[in-house]
Amino acid sequence: MIASQHNQARPSIMHIDLNSCFATVMQQAYIHLRGKPLVVSAYSTPKGFVLSPSIEAKKLGIKLGFSNADARAVCPDVIVRTPDPELVRDVHRKFRKLFHPYSPIVEPKYIDEAVIDFKHTKYENADLTIVGEEIRLRMRREIGEWISCSIGISTNRFLAKLAAGIHKPNGLDVIDAQNVREVFSQMVLTDFPGIAKRYELRLQENGIYTPLNFLAADEKFLQKKVFRSINGNHWYMRMRGWEVDDIEFERKSYGQQYALAQKTGNVILLGRLLMKLCEKMGRRVRRAGYAARGISLALSFTNRTYLHTGHLVGYQMYTVWDFYNEAYRILHEAVTDGKIVSQMSVSCFDLVTVRAIEEQLFDQSRTKKHQVSDAVDRMNDRYGEYVVTPASMMQMDSTILDRIAFGNVREVYEGH
Amino acid sequence: MQDIFEEPVSALFSYNAKTQAIMPRKMVWKGREYTFTKLGYHHTVRIGRILNHIFHVTDGTNDYRLRVNTETLEVVLEDVYHDRLTA
Repeated sequence: MIASQHNQARPSIMHIDLNSCFATVMQQAYIHLRGKPLVVSAYSTPKGFVLSPSIEAKKLGIKLGFSNADARAVCPDVIVRTPDPELVRDVHRKFRKLFHPYSPIVEPKYIDEAVIDFKHTKYENADLTIVGEEIRLRMRREIGEWISCSIGISTNRFLAKLAAGIHKPNGLDVIDAQNVREVFSQMVLTDFPGIAKRYELRLQENGIYTPLNFLAADEKFLQKKVFRSINGNHWYMRMRGWEVDDIEFERKSYGQQYALAQKTGNVILLGRLLMKLCEKMGRRVRRAGYAARGISLALSFTNRTYLHTGHLVGYQMYTVWDFYNEAYRILHEAVTDGKIVSQMSVSCFDLVTVRAIEEQLFDQSRTKKHQVSDAVDRMNDRYGEYVVTPASMMQMDSTILDRIAFGNVREVYEGH
Repeated sequence: MQDIFEEPVSALFSYNAKTQAIMPRKMVWKGREYTFTKLGYHHTVRIGRILNHIFHVTDGTNDYRLRVNTETLEVVLEDVYHDRLTA
C-alpha cells in the first residue's frame, strides 16, 4: 500500500450506532414514553446527570451530562427515568446476534455500537448501503419498531464511525477517497472520535486548526512534533482510510464506583459501602476467571479535593475479604478528621488467570478461603445475587445499583 | 409516573407457533381485568439459576411490566407506568 494516498479499496467496514440507546430502548419497552422528551439519568434526583436524552429531548436542546434540574429548566415536562440495565443488555445481545450472519467479524465497541467487517464475506463486493438498510429494517422488525440506528460505511473503523455521526438520527453515510475532503471540510477537530479538547489544543499549537489542516499535515510532522509518538503515524493512516484500529485490548482492571447520596466522613459507614463495592467487583473478577495483584481506591471529597492511591499487594486477591482488607487500609488512612467523602471507587489491576493461581497454591489456608468464596459464588449464582453476603452488607440490598459501564461491553458476555 | 408493585396476578397468554411469539393478553389485578393491546418488549433475565421472562405491555392507557418465573410459573406485576402525573 502507499500510505500517503487515500485507501482506494471498496468500503467494507460498517459502524452501527443505536441512536440515544438507553432512552430509545426505554421508549421501545414503555410505549407511552414514545415521542416524548425523556431522559435516562443515573439517579432521579435533581442533581442526577443525564446519561441518555431521547431524540425528542435532544431536539429541545437537552444534552448528555445535563443535570435533571437543567433538563427540567429546558423542558419542565421532561420525563426522568433511571436505567434498566437488563433491558439494554438484552437489546445489545439481540443486535449482535442479528449482525453475525453477515460476517464472522462483529465487534461490539460500546453497549450501543458495533463494527461489522465485511472483508472476505459474500458481501465484500455488495453495495453496503443496501446491506445497511436491510440491517436497519431487520433491527426494527426483530428487536423493536422504535429502535433506530445511524450507520457509517468506510474502509476503516475510524472513518466508518465518523460517517455514522454525520446524520443523526437514522443516518446512513459513506466516506471514501472521493468525498473524504468534502466531509472533513464540514467538521471541526473535536468531531473526530479520539480528539477531545486536550488533543485539539495540541493540534492548534502546531498550526492545525481544521480537519483539512490535519489531513494535509506531513506524517513525520505528526509523529515527531505533534504527537511525539507512533500515534502521529496512526492518525496519518487513519484519516486516509487505512486500518490501524483493528486491535482488541485485553482487560487490565475491574472497578466499581459509587456516588454517595448521603455524603459522610464516617469510616464505618464508608467501610460498609466499600464492602459492597468489593463484593460486586470480586464477583465480576472471579466470574471472568481472574484474581488481581493490585488494588486502588479513589475518593472525592466535598471540599473538592481528590485522592487516588493504589499499590501491588504481594499476593493474588481473590475473595471479597482480600479486596476489602486491602482497600479498607487505604480508606482508613485517607479519611481523616473533617473530610467528607462524596464519591468512592475501588478498582483492582495486574490481573492473573485462576489457572495461574491454582498452580501456585501451596498455602492451605488460602486454598480453603478460595473454596469458601467459590461456594458462596455458586450459591449466589443459583439463588440470586446477594443471597449470601458478608454480615457487614446486611440491609444494603439496593444501595449500589446495577449499572452499565461506559465503553465496556465485555461484561455482557463474561459469565452470561 | 412509575409505580412499583411486585404483586402476583392472574394472566392469560397467547402463543403463535408460526412466529414463536408469546404475549400476555389479559391480567386480573385487584379484581379488575386489563386487556393488553400491544407488546413493547420481551426479554429474559436470570435471577440466580431461575430464568424469568419480562414482558412490557400496554392496555392503551398504562404500560405494565410483568415477570414470569419459569420454575414456579408465577406471574408478577412489577410496575405500572402512567402519565396522568408527571415524574
